[in-house]
Amino acid sequence: MPSAKDILKKFTELKTLPHVAIKVTQLVNDDRSTMQDFEEIIKLDPVLVTRLLRLVNSPYFGLSQKVESISKAVVFAGMKQLRNLVAVEGLRGMFKGDDADFSAQKLWLHSATVAILSGMIAKRIFGKDGEDVFLAGIIHDIGLIVENQIVGEQLREACKAFREGKGILTECERNAIGTDHTEVGYLLTKAWGLPQEVLSSIKSHHLAKQVKDVSSTGSILQLAEFMAGKMQYWAIPGPTETLPPELTEHVKMKVADYKIIIRDLPGEMAKAKELYESDE
Amino acid sequence: MTEPTFDAIFDDLLDANEELQDFLAILDALLPEASVLLVSETGALLDGAHPLTLAQPVREKLVQEARSTDGFVAGKADNGARCHAVYNAKLPGVLIISCAAPKDDWPPGSALTTLLQNTLDLALHRQEREMLVADHEQSVRQINILQQQHGKLIEDNYRQYRLNQDREKEYARKLESEIAKQTAELREANARLEEISRLKSDFLANMSHELRTPMNAIIGFSELLSETPLAEEQLDYTRTIAQSAASLLSLINDILDLAKIEAGKLELERLPFNLAEVVDNVAAMFKIPAREKGVVFTCKIDSRIPKRVMGDSNRLRQVLINLSGNAMKFTERGGIDITVDYEREAAGQIVSRFSVRDSGIGIPADRVEAIFEKFTQADGSTTRKYGGTGLGLAICLQLVELMGGRLTVDSEVGKGSTFYFVIPLEEAPAEIISLQEHKEAGREKLGRGGRILLVEDNAVNQRLASILIARQGYEVEVASDGAESLEHLRHQTFDLVLMDVQMPNMDGMEATRKIREIEADPALRQEYVGLRALKEPLAIVGLTAHARKEDETACYAAGMNGFLTKPIIKAKLALILNEMMPRVSCLETKDPS
Repeated sequence: MPSAKDILKKFTELKTLPHVAIKVTQLVNDDRSTMQDFEEIIKLDPVLVTRLLRLVNSPYFGLSQKVESISKAVVFAGMKQLRNLVAVEGLRGMFKGDDADFSAQKLWLHSATVAILSGMIAKRIFGKDGEDVFLAGIIHDIGLIVENQIVGEQLREACKAFREGKGILTECERNAIGTDHTEVGYLLTKAWGLPQEVLSSIKSHHLAKQVKDVSSTGSILQLAEFMAGKMQYWAIPGPTETLPPELTEHVKMKVADYKIIIRDLPGEMAKAKELYESDE
Repeated sequence: MTEPTFDAIFDDLLDANEELQDFLAILDALLPEASVLLVSETGALLDGAHPLTLAQPVREKLVQEARSTDGFVAGKADNGARCHAVYNAKLPGVLIISCAAPKDDWPPGSALTTLLQNTLDLALHRQEREMLVADHEQSVRQINILQQQHGKLIEDNYRQYRLNQDREKEYARKLESEIAKQTAELREANARLEEISRLKSDFLANMSHELRTPMNAIIGFSELLSETPLAEEQLDYTRTIAQSAASLLSLINDILDLAKIEAGKLELERLPFNLAEVVDNVAAMFKIPAREKGVVFTCKIDSRIPKRVMGDSNRLRQVLINLSGNAMKFTERGGIDITVDYEREAAGQIVSRFSVRDSGIGIPADRVEAIFEKFTQADGSTTRKYGGTGLGLAICLQLVELMGGRLTVDSEVGKGSTFYFVIPLEEAPAEIISLQEHKEAGREKLGRGGRILLVEDNAVNQRLASILIARQGYEVEVASDGAESLEHLRHQTFDLVLMDVQMPNMDGMEATRKIREIEADPALRQEYVGLRALKEPLAIVGLTAHARKEDETACYAAGMNGFLTKPIIKAKLALILNEMMPRVSCLETKDPS
């Protein structure tokens, strides 16, 4: 049975990763990078430029003047927003294809929902910058995309077993494929130079381990994953995993907060759709 | 997909009645003495702080009535107390309340029912307030994040501003060092070029020497040869040699002139001279050959042009000779005129127009530009027919430019050409007595013999110069270098020394300086027969193949009184000897009888 590394090796041979996304991610992590460096990269991609200008001129930023230059837009958006924008743009193309057992499109919708929910929880309940968790939400299931391309048959087997209630998804994957999407996704994104917390949240988002910090990226991702599943924005159709008791306790304490988040979610999703939706 | 609700998501986790319990707790706080029972939509029974017991049929009847009525429905509790039921959709559920007073009835619209209704609303609002507070808190957190992001943005921008500044400084520093480097390189290259230019210039001087020395011999000896008794054929050959040598010498002079002009080394003199004399001189040169050809040669100067002007008479003469020579070459009949016209006066200078007109073959319009170029004539056949190097006009063009004018030509094929240039002339101040005139005054004297010491290392030149000097009627003694010349002066007297500049052992410059030192030292002077009796300093004429201005200057600086270039031209030698020889020869003083 192939290991996560074997699968990944084949994947990179098959398809090159979005160069712009990697470059921008590296720039975000580099203290010496300047907005000019971002501008140099962004301006090579007209789609990104359009999207960036749309983002900056959206009501979300509430700027009094229309921003028309790339350099200004880059400054207003900030590095992390920019990184997320580029990541969404780069990854969207990978989430294509649809069949009964595995739908990459549904997975994209799931990822987007988890990303938006994660961002909302981080900002509204924990008062944290939501950009990293948003990114974690967008890419947390990237491993499934890789598996779909390299070991599609086995993945479908695993999906079927999961739907029939033969265990949680990662277990089913390990039985059918030999590894699971959290491992593959972790290894893949490690090469992108993302923040450690984002990486470990990708690895742990299906782990039923004891939660130490409810406000960690991993916890928020798990909560958002649970909520998205309950809303039927699921990655793979099947039974929803139960929340760890610490997280259940947290929700009980913050009923009013979560009620508001659920109330506001459709609005946030519409906004995100406007910002990130493809023009095709 | 339908809009998600909180309950749909979290129903597994949470007790559905928890909220109703919260509400009861709030109500208990508002109405501590009332007994309360809440019946939920699912039929669950929830007790307040004081439980209210009702028989099941009574309770069900009350709940049913309350659901269908908008307001309170009265009933009786197990303990006989009155109780009232009301349905509230917000809870949602039916609330049954019993107050302490057992007998009171609550008619609809009474103050009591209103009071109770308000209390219920208050309890509900308190619960809603929790949501609002949470909502507010979320907003505050989001605002805080935005503020943080804003702060970070400013911080980022500042950091980047600093980064950019650093980069700019770094760039400026690099640029500076690059410029410094390139400047140094350019300086070095410039120095190299200057060195090369200097070497070229030295080469030029040496070439001039090397070429003139053999020319000296050829011209001199062919001249001497032609004066010996010769057969007609031999005389013809000798003349051909002399003519060829003369034309070669003029070519060499032309090339050197051009090289000097191009190297920017040619500087014009600024001395007073007689303009009419220069023009007449040129005309005199051509009048006889012109007459032989049947061509009339005339010259005319406007009377408004001052007689004596400032400038370089030699170069002006050179230009006029060149233009007249060309005119002569290409004119078979008709006439040639040199005219100097007054054009206008500007800034104290008289702008004059010099023209040389001929009635020769003319120049085709499409060749006019080419004739001013080096080594080019109107067409290839011209060279074959008329000879010449094609350097003359190129030199004239440059010389006229140096004089502040522009050489132009108007020409028509078959009718003739007029070359002209307009240059400013400045009248010479009256007090400057021209060197030329001074010299001219001396020309009237006649050569009357005397003793000359020729100092020359080259044997051929020794012979040639000796013969030329002897022909002028002087006695010659030869010394082959500077040291030897001093020895001669120790034992003999001379009227004049012809001193070659370039010689082995002691060169002409050093010998001259030595002689002047000796003259200045009364004790030392007594040892030299040739110097002690002299009342004036000994006349020393430098003799050099270097025709450059700086060579002449160097000769005078070393203490010489005259300067003669090689090859020695007989006429020039005669002139300078005549001029430089003392009025009273040493021969006469030595031997007064």
